[in-house]
Amino acid sequence: MKKHRKWLKVWKAPSAFTVPPWQECVAGALRSELDAEAGAATQVSDPGTSPASTADHAEGDRSDPPGEGQTRRELSDVERRERFVSEALPHVDRLFSAALRYTRDPTDAEDLVQETMVKAYRSFHQYRPGTNLKAWLYRVLHTTYISMYRKAQRRPQESLQDEVDEFSLYDEVARTGGSAEREVLESLTSEEVQQALADLPESFRMAVYLADVEGFSYKEIADIMETPVGTVMSRLHRGRKALQKALATYVRSRGLIADEPEADA
Amino acid sequence: MSERSDANADCGNECTEALRQLGAYLDGELPGTDVEVIRRHLTACYPCTERATFEEQLRAIVRRDCSDHAPPSLMLRIESALEVYWPQR
Repeated sequence: MKKHRKWLKVWKAPSAFTVPPWQECVAGALRSELDAEAGAATQVSDPGTSPASTADHAEGDRSDPPGEGQTRRELSDVERRERFVSEALPHVDRLFSAALRYTRDPTDAEDLVQETMVKAYRSFHQYRPGTNLKAWLYRVLHTTYISMYRKAQRRPQESLQDEVDEFSLYDEVARTGGSAEREVLESLTSEEVQQALADLPESFRMAVYLADVEGFSYKEIADIMETPVGTVMSRLHRGRKALQKALATYVRSRGLIADEPEADA
Repeated sequence: MSERSDANADCGNECTEALRQLGAYLDGELPGTDVEVIRRHLTACYPCTERATFEEQLRAIVRRDCSDHAPPSLMLRIESALEVYWPQR
């Protein structure tokens, strides 16, 4: 809710806009509308109260007949925008983090999130209220990334070397025997972990990111990446192994694990 | 060979099965009956518990280090971009 208020505050500041003269009337009307909303929004201060109104709208744009004393109706454009502002925009921060994993460049990540939110708003009528909005937004992010960047890249088929399947950082630590697992994990810097993830091929990188950082289920990741669940599981498995292998090189450079597979501590 | 690596050397079938399912278990994707089996194994098997803890901690590290925040200017950019599409009365 805090975030929600923040957006509204931003909205109320006319200085934040560069409004072309032909839009001034519209913008002015919008602003007063938003001011009114800001007042209304303070009443919905408990997130627990929003699902009720969400449920109301949920069936609104389906063909269900009215009943049970509920108001079932088409969402108006204004309501749709209102809901987008309060429910979708708060995801921008997390979407940026994901976009950064896709693009590996902060400027590109900002462009990607902006384009994603524009696309999401324009197709927001397709989103079924009550379903998983977060996953839906990540899916829009995924498809937007593909249309904005991947198309242009003509990237070769991504793969990981077969031997990655056998790799386990834990086994490397155990084999060396000298250092404790804890010491090895604590020696890893944020930069190293970020770099190791960034160096993974895209499909593996995103599977690992969506599972480990965002906590999506296999099924959700499959929906986001438009791929079978089995593929997600295999990408996750191999992606994590490859990540561990990359991390092992950092750990090895500090002498915390042995150099050669045959070497002993 | 160090003592530590020997710990997993006489890994039985139960360990092999537990380790095969460890990833899905940590992801919360194992069906209930399998969860019970692996949990029971983990409470009894020290080497497997060590490994599970390590894998879990590594995931936590990735989660901690790979979460970035959007610059505040991004919200303004997005709001400006959306303005064109906002409904008119």
